[in-house]
Amino acid sequence: MKILKEYAGALTNFEVLDFLRSRGAGKDPTRLIAAIAPSEYKVYDYLEQTAASRQTRDTVNEFMEKCKIYDLAKAEILNIINIRPSSAAEIDPIIEECDARYGEKIELLVETVSDLLPPPPTQLESEEGIGVDKEQTSDEHQMEVTQ
Amino acid sequence: MFCLSEIEHTLRLPPHLLNLPLPEAIKGELEGLFLDKVIAKLGLCVSVYDIRSIDGGFIFPGDGASTYTVKFRLIMFRPFVGEVISARLKESSSTGLRLSLGFFDDIYVSVALLPNPSHHEPDPENQNQVRWIWEFNEENYPLDGMDEIRFRVHSIQYPSIPLEQEKDSKPFAPMVVTGSLDADGLGPVSWWV
Repeated sequence: MKILKEYAGALTNFEVLDFLRSRGAGKDPTRLIAAIAPSEYKVYDYLEQTAASRQTRDTVNEFMEKCKIYDLAKAEILNIINIRPSSAAEIDPIIEECDARYGEKIELLVETVSDLLPPPPTQLESEEGIGVDKEQTSDEHQMEVTQ
Repeated sequence: MFCLSEIEHTLRLPPHLLNLPLPEAIKGELEGLFLDKVIAKLGLCVSVYDIRSIDGGFIFPGDGASTYTVKFRLIMFRPFVGEVISARLKESSSTGLRLSLGFFDDIYVSVALLPNPSHHEPDPENQNQVRWIWEFNEENYPLDGMDEIRFRVHSIQYPSIPLEQEKDSKPFAPMVVTGSLDADGLGPVSWWV
């Protein structure tokens, strides 16, 4: 084995989930037909619980576009997309020297995050109940369109 | 958390796979070789992302199989230092916490990296474990396994394989992530909502 490139690009959680879904994970309830190893299903199960499960290519791209004005490092944007912080306290450990660099402006960034990136499924269930879940997401889509 | 690594490998393709298309057969062999394995300095292999090139197909004298040189990319789980990841509590002892991602369990938080000041008391539900409690403004915040715990990656080690292992030592882990909870916004998600 020869390592040609140790680092050939980073992937967000969403991209890994998208890759596993494109190979048929999630469509196969028996987990035997699709050519996916048990270890890959463990990764899939983990990612389904995170914020990545509701993201789409468009929302992630739009968020990256909006992030440009904040002058964030690439790793910070990646981490924000993966974690989807919903308050200033949650975003603080992700961004280096958050107070000195942003101060009060951090609230605007948190607002951008909660506007563009959908919340993780566990949060929705605890706040809204599973039944209201679907209506909530469709409302969010409409809001995005009007914005 | 995840990234790609490009690797070249020379592998022998057993003849019972000749009925499959070549890329498919090679992908299957690569998955058997690398999936769910740790490569030192690269991290834990999650998936074969794509195959860049397949060269060779040489049959060595006396060998009943062809040998290919393949260039391919792997999806690796390799967190970077400073990254924030959400995990679940696996074990909690007087020496610290052990967290789990479901597919990766070797994440440790030592006592020095727990929120300061904190203390532990015996867990009422499990005698072998303890419960860590963070004291803040004279209120107690317990670190229980109820919800997700966010930690920051402090360091990643790839210990070399030990030559001799003691009988009662814990199983060898080829990749160990040390996490830190000692900052605002880290710890159980419910602390900050």
